[in-house]
Amino acid sequence: MGRLLLRHLGQTLLGTWLLASAVFLLSRAGSDQVLQQAFAAATEQLAPAASAADVQASRAITRHRLGLDQPLFYVGRTPAGGWQWRGWHNQYHQWLQQLSHGSLGTSFRTGEPVTQRLARALALTLPLTIAAAVLAALAALALAGWLAAAPRWQLPVRSVLVLLQSMPLFVIALALLLLLANPEALDWFPANGLTAVADAGNAGRFSSSVLLRTLPQLVLPITALVLSTLPELTLQLDAALSYELRQPYILTAKAKGLQSSAVVYRHALRNALLPTLAQLAELLPAVVAGAVVVEVIFTLPGMGRLLAEAAAARDYPVLVGGVLLVGTARLVSLLLADLSYSWADPRIRWQA
Amino acid sequence: MASLSAAGLRLGPGQWLALAWLVGLLALATLAPALPLPYPPGTPDLAHMAEGPSSATHHWLGTDALGRDVLSGLVFGARTALFLTLPAALLAALLGGIAGGAAGFWGNRLRLGIGGWVLAVSILAGVLGFSRTMVAVGAGLAAALWASGRLFRRAIALSVPLDSLVLGTATALDTVPRLILVLALVARGGVSALGLGLVLGLTSWASPARQVRARMLAVRALPFIDAARASGLSPVRVWWLHALPHALRPLQTALPLSIAGLLALESTLSFLGVGLPPEAASWGQQLSAARQAPQAWWAFTFPALALAATIFSMHFLSRSRRLSVPSPNR
Amino acid sequence: MSLLLLSNCTARRDQSDAIRIRWAHDPETLTPLALQNQAAMDASNLMHVSLLQANSQPLAIEPALAAQLPTMARQGDSLTTFRYTIRPAATWDDGRPVLATDVACTLKLMSCPGLPNETARNNFGRIQQIEPDPADPRAFTLICQGQAPDLLLVTGDFFILSEASLDPRHRLRRYSLPALQRWPATRPPDSALQALARHYLAADLANHPERSPGCGPYRLARWEKDRYLSFRRKAGWWGHALSGLPLALQARAARLDYLVIPDASAANLALRRGDLDVYPQFPAADFQRLTATPTAAVRLYVSDSYDIALAGFNTRHPVLADARTRQALSRLFDTAGLLRGTQHGSGQRTASLVAPFDRANYNDSLRPVPYDPPGARALLQQAGWQPSATGWHRPGPKGLQQLHLVVRYRAEDALFATAALQFRAAAKALGIGVELLPTESALFGKALAEGDFDVFMRTLRGNPFAINFTPLLHSASPSETNATRFSNPACDRLIDAIANTNDSLARARQLRQLQGLLQWQAPLVPLFFLPNRVAARRDCQGLYVSSLKPGFVAPTIERTAAAAAR
Repeated sequence: MGRLLLRHLGQTLLGTWLLASAVFLLSRAGSDQVLQQAFAAATEQLAPAASAADVQASRAITRHRLGLDQPLFYVGRTPAGGWQWRGWHNQYHQWLQQLSHGSLGTSFRTGEPVTQRLARALALTLPLTIAAAVLAALAALALAGWLAAAPRWQLPVRSVLVLLQSMPLFVIALALLLLLANPEALDWFPANGLTAVADAGNAGRFSSSVLLRTLPQLVLPITALVLSTLPELTLQLDAALSYELRQPYILTAKAKGLQSSAVVYRHALRNALLPTLAQLAELLPAVVAGAVVVEVIFTLPGMGRLLAEAAAARDYPVLVGGVLLVGTARLVSLLLADLSYSWADPRIRWQA
Repeated sequence: MASLSAAGLRLGPGQWLALAWLVGLLALATLAPALPLPYPPGTPDLAHMAEGPSSATHHWLGTDALGRDVLSGLVFGARTALFLTLPAALLAALLGGIAGGAAGFWGNRLRLGIGGWVLAVSILAGVLGFSRTMVAVGAGLAAALWASGRLFRRAIALSVPLDSLVLGTATALDTVPRLILVLALVARGGVSALGLGLVLGLTSWASPARQVRARMLAVRALPFIDAARASGLSPVRVWWLHALPHALRPLQTALPLSIAGLLALESTLSFLGVGLPPEAASWGQQLSAARQAPQAWWAFTFPALALAATIFSMHFLSRSRRLSVPSPNR
Repeated sequence: MSLLLLSNCTARRDQSDAIRIRWAHDPETLTPLALQNQAAMDASNLMHVSLLQANSQPLAIEPALAAQLPTMARQGDSLTTFRYTIRPAATWDDGRPVLATDVACTLKLMSCPGLPNETARNNFGRIQQIEPDPADPRAFTLICQGQAPDLLLVTGDFFILSEASLDPRHRLRRYSLPALQRWPATRPPDSALQALARHYLAADLANHPERSPGCGPYRLARWEKDRYLSFRRKAGWWGHALSGLPLALQARAARLDYLVIPDASAANLALRRGDLDVYPQFPAADFQRLTATPTAAVRLYVSDSYDIALAGFNTRHPVLADARTRQALSRLFDTAGLLRGTQHGSGQRTASLVAPFDRANYNDSLRPVPYDPPGARALLQQAGWQPSATGWHRPGPKGLQQLHLVVRYRAEDALFATAALQFRAAAKALGIGVELLPTESALFGKALAEGDFDVFMRTLRGNPFAINFTPLLHSASPSETNATRFSNPACDRLIDAIANTNDSLARARQLRQLQGLLQWQAPLVPLFFLPNRVAARRDCQGLYVSSLKPGFVAPTIERTAAAAAR
């Protein structure tokens, strides 16, 4: 088991590094994105005229200032079509060095350190998605337990869950938005994201009043996320429970005179949880990546929207940072899944 | 087990309904250009922007915020939905089946002769853009080695870590949620319908590959494979003719789910405005226009229903077994 | 649930002193040397003051930090001098006066190597020298290259930065402005300039503008990226002691909060719920709906604007190099229908880039280009195109050319999404293939500058004070501004003449001539001038809407007494 875990971790680490490197190299190859940022104002407004030569000159200065005049990689193509060693002073090597010091570079769009942007987005996304994941897991447990005790309801409830499962997340979120935060329909919730302005008096502190103020704005996004994860978790757990309840040990437990609910929760559930735990651990990268769609629809400035916008605007440092972060989350989730396996199934622990 | 065969042979009324919906959709999608629709898709009617269903204007299901007819959008959206996701799902199943089947069958011990190595290296060189002559020389060398007898080939052979290679690539693909991955790939400029289909297919083969590999590990140990080997068939033929057909079985039930997943992904991408070009009709795109006119319930309800009904039908068909698990009461 | 709704109501009440304004995007960076978008410009206008300012009531250029308009003099035949004096009352936050040395420091920072100042360098490079007045520390003379009338705006339109905070050791005083401007790109900055650049970059003004406060009426109290910016009026701001300042400097609002709400319908909702006070660039459809069914809480404002929606052709593309083809394609835009469908009747069709309400300069003998597909077909055939089952072809110098167009516009812009679909449908009816590429804002500018398009559609923001087509259409202008790469000797001559004359009658005559020429050449298709629509809560008073960007004046808005008492 230890060796398997190590192998999993190694594979994920390698995969993350490869993916991040690929995105980095793609980003810098022939992209003058940074330069364009410096000249964005010129195209948006009719600025006083500058000649083409001036613009060329200032472009060269910007390239040099940002280190973009260095070669991209250790080897590169020569104009003749061959390959050539370009030395250690290249952009990729510098990026790796920066990375080993914990720096992900600065965003093309805002000039801010990427780590800072990611941290800010995570501060919003994590409470949202973790709350949704916990609520969904609890609801799935309760629902599956209830279904096991009330078999008559199984078919209708399962059908409803499958129906819910066939709605893509954006349809659920959009339906909630257009139904419950729409003056044309029911105007119960605010539609816009976290724009409640903190008072300058308690600046820097996330006071309870701010939390209270932002709570109604989080109800709909969390509901959408719960509704979209609930069916799969419940169906899985329900199927596993039904299977366990037909096993001989349940009959033994029942024969001992245990109550039906006690049988379900003490005995069957523990065994049925195993695949669900794996599912929950799988959720972790998604939790970190945020729910792009929900954040776009409810205009929450979280991880998902940050990555989606970075992709659309080709803000590659942010994108690379996001890929690395999600990859790390995946490492952690693998670790958690293996740990939780050994907790839920003592046989795995003995074998280790 | 009894219910499994029942689901395979006898369909309940629900399943019939789901099947009828899908077949009807397929017919609609195929016949879309020949249908007598009052308005073409993707064309704004500037005199009727975001107007409700009305028989006077012949917009039977209304128009969206950009003045496009909802009905013709639905019909041509069905075309996009099916003709994009079906091939993408098949491509993913094909890639996943072959990669997972090979990984499961040979594990990390595939012995590849020198000829194969030369061929692989020259193909790689071709991809990286080395000169054409070099690639041609490499291919020629490989062919010569191939022709020069079995003994020679076997003598200088190295093992390929095929299993690790496939699993590693699949893990790399799985590291990032698929939506983010596709977003990053598609965001590099506009993408055509064909390009999007390829991207969707190429990023979705990891899950079928895992399923087929797991199944192949079991199939490999079955007696009839040993028998086939003993009869002197080459490993490739044993794999292709005997092992693979059995190992592909999990894909039969997985395919509708895979199509449903891709349909959801495609509509989500179109909703976010990064998928198909704007002139291609798509349910996701129709839904994204619904946000611009929150009072136009018709612009949201009809595409949402079509999308949900289609995905539900596919889930229903592949999950009918689970739904019909006999309850302990009976 | 009732608890949540309750808390929401209290939230509404305790913010009633702030005026909350919607922004669609975060300003992202607030470096005074490189402002990248309108939001950043608006924010900087609150914190900083420039020498001159465009005032909206009355519409004129007025002195802001300068005590009066500069005295202008021509020197020889290629230079102009402007003599300015700074208002004696003007001070920095610590009470130090704003002096000519601050202006000199700002100009030098804009040319200093090693700083992110390329935009400013390009925009204000025509200011060649600054000469302080030895007798008066507040007076100085700017020497500028050229004698064009728009130089006045150039000399007065940059924010004055504080020397005490950005160059406390006075390192820049050792260098002259021309020496910095002519610093070769290859020569590394010397140690003093490097130290200065380090000091500047360490402050990270792009994300922390509060580290070098300007002499403007507001300070940035809080900035939650992608959520909101909160500005507070300074307690003892110098402008309050003066009268006759431009509107934007009167600073009546004590607190201005800009809320970043990207989604239009969410913003509309917030306005109607009272979570938002002012919604500039209010969408046409919502405007029409609110006009039809007025609500007590929201008041609507509308005015003319100099924002023009237009399409442009890549004239370097062989297919679009001849005027006939461009004329033909410009007949495929149903401008009247688009105006009706997307603007609901407001806005104004136009035949040229000059606004029709600018009666002195608009060439009223021209007619707007009609929507005329049969005419387009005839013109295409005149241009040598032959229709066939596979599209339109014509022989070119490098073999057969095919008429297939790639149209780019900013993604998430409903107006151009509609216009592009309409153009595509009209072209498709003629058998012309059109590919639509909605592009993210940052990439849009890049694609235009690189010529990666056949047709583009965008809004262009003009201003009433300077009519200068040099950046947009002169053959010497870089492709960053002359995206169509249009080059025509006759047009170049007219554009130069218009930019360099001070005689308004002669300019009007030349402008009319240019408009006619441009309509025939058709590098750009002017679709229509957009109206400026603002929606605001009824309890906000003192809202001045105008044709100046951003369409209204924020600092003059106040809440009515009734609302404040609530």
